[in-house]
Amino acid sequence: MTRPPPRILLVEDTPTQAEVAKALLRDMGLEIRHAETAGRALADALANPPDAILLDLELPDFGGFELMQKLRAEGVEAAIIVVTANASVNTAVEAMRQGAMDFIVKPYAKARLTVTLNNALEKRALTQELKTVKAQLSRDRFFGFIGASAAMQAVYRTIEGVAASRASVFITGESGTGKELAAEAVHKASPRAAKPFVALNCGAIPRDLLESEVFGHVKGAFTGATDNRVGAAKQADGGTLFLDEIGEMPLEMQVKLLRFVQTGSFQPVGASRPEKVDVRFVCATNRDPLAEVEAGRFREDLYYRLYVVPVELPPLRERGTDSVLIARALLATLSREEGKHFRGFSPEAERAIMAYAWPGNVRQLQNVVRNVVVLHDAEVVEPAMLPPMLLRAAIRPTAPHLTPMAAPVVAPVVAAAPVVAAPAMAEPAVAEPVPVQALPVPLPEPIFVPVPPSPPALALPPLPPPLPSVPVIEPLAVMEKRLILAALAETSQDVARAAALLEINPSTVYRKLQAWKTAGEIP
Amino acid sequence: MHALRLQPLGLCHRLGVWVEPKVDRLASRWHHCHVTVLDPSIAGQLAEDLPRADFLLIINTFRDDLARLTQELTAAAATGDHHSFHRAAHSLAGAAAAVGALRLEASARLGMADEASTAPPPPGLSARIATEAQAALAALAALAQGPG
Repeated sequence: MTRPPPRILLVEDTPTQAEVAKALLRDMGLEIRHAETAGRALADALANPPDAILLDLELPDFGGFELMQKLRAEGVEAAIIVVTANASVNTAVEAMRQGAMDFIVKPYAKARLTVTLNNALEKRALTQELKTVKAQLSRDRFFGFIGASAAMQAVYRTIEGVAASRASVFITGESGTGKELAAEAVHKASPRAAKPFVALNCGAIPRDLLESEVFGHVKGAFTGATDNRVGAAKQADGGTLFLDEIGEMPLEMQVKLLRFVQTGSFQPVGASRPEKVDVRFVCATNRDPLAEVEAGRFREDLYYRLYVVPVELPPLRERGTDSVLIARALLATLSREEGKHFRGFSPEAERAIMAYAWPGNVRQLQNVVRNVVVLHDAEVVEPAMLPPMLLRAAIRPTAPHLTPMAAPVVAPVVAAAPVVAAPAMAEPAVAEPVPVQALPVPLPEPIFVPVPPSPPALALPPLPPPLPSVPVIEPLAVMEKRLILAALAETSQDVARAAALLEINPSTVYRKLQAWKTAGEIP
Repeated sequence: MHALRLQPLGLCHRLGVWVEPKVDRLASRWHHCHVTVLDPSIAGQLAEDLPRADFLLIINTFRDDLARLTQELTAAAATGDHHSFHRAAHSLAGAAAAVGALRLEASARLGMADEASTAPPPPGLSARIATEAQAALAALAALAQGPG
């Protein structure tokens, strides 16, 4: 793509001077505009921002320095070259102080003018490029995406890089990471943006209907085909065809898709002649496509046809503070939709959101925010409004007053919780705290012991009473009862929250309470 | 010890500041400086660097400037409008400098020597400028014709 010629604004009130400058610059391939007064120069620069300004200081309406101040105040960032007959040091210093990039004394030779202007344009181009790169590196929105993390910046760059091409794009990522958003971004950033974007979820369509959905059918092709039907391939002609969950596509359909990808032509079900279309393919799966190939569930030839430019969407837990950015945006949107008055999250609630692993990614975050908005109404979302699973996650990695306790403690009633045998020595082994954000699924958590006297970092429900650092081995049922009752005490007998803290089902708590009551162990 | 060497243009400019009314005497000194009508490093370079059409366009623009500015100078001198006189002289000096019309530039600078002064412009300056303007135009036209 050719770049437009640099735009030069020549501010000069003497026509001969202006004509000489224009003649000397004529063969540089510039777009030169001429203003004879400072006022006209200001209006011109604002209407059509130039890359460089050749500025005479002596102008009929007001001076060149004043014009420079006005230009800068209005945000004109052009490289300014002061051109004056006054070769004094004071004028040069003042010009530089006012933000001029260079200074030329009249009369000037062609070489002096062109070299100075080229230098200024080059510097200006570099400055612009730096600004663009900085903006790209720090952008927090990209088409439908919200996120400023480095991982997402890489995704944005890949999408931008591939958009103009016709190359197939293969998007991978866990469920809820925004694969369809990525496909739409590829389409919208491409020259096909004005043409259709057709999305088809291969996993949601019955196998028997998939071919008809993709390629269409003619009337009478099969029972129930009462009319001709245009398929997704035809609908996407000139645009983009997004095949989501392509890993779910049956092998026999993969053969037909391969032919379509290779030739651009397909045959509607029951038709006698093939049709040709111009379609750009974007595919997505939440599986590892190569593993699917190795397992024989995905054709290798089709894989290589489609897996041209991979885009891997990071899970939310690897996107740093993006979870909070997304939660804020969702809260604003959903509050508006639901007619609620939420304006933001409390710092504690944001910390809880950031600490959680979000195994369901953005979709899960969306559900949580919707849940909060539907069930509550306030200006600020407090931690108590969030689901207990988030609060537990918030306690684990971020509370500085908590230290992993020496090992042999049984985790509360969780079936999978490991029971660590007490070492015989006095110095017990210390369990390493596992950063929750790195875990794809919740794991049995270590027991933490508060370390006095630091105040708690979060205004969250306190943990059960301190456990002895030298463990006393008790019957499992005794420990279980003690932990459940402690959790209930800490949550003011709120069974649901106590169960959440213990990572067990509330019905388990009810069942245990009932059993202890029946046995007369509790009132 | 080296003697201070002043460029002819600078010398005349400085002289003009403090011997403002003595234009005729200054003019004779000016000629003693052996200043040519055109500065070859400016006018000659323009003729060399630019296509002939561009060079001719510049000369024609210069001619229009001269006509307009000498008229403004004459009118300002007649009405005693020092500011307009200074302004026109400044533009004239700039236009002359752009094409390397040295003697015309120097003459014009005499008219812009002291903008703040309420003293009338040097007598005979307008006529002198007109003469130099004609000389500059003739020299430029000759330059545009080429050596042949």
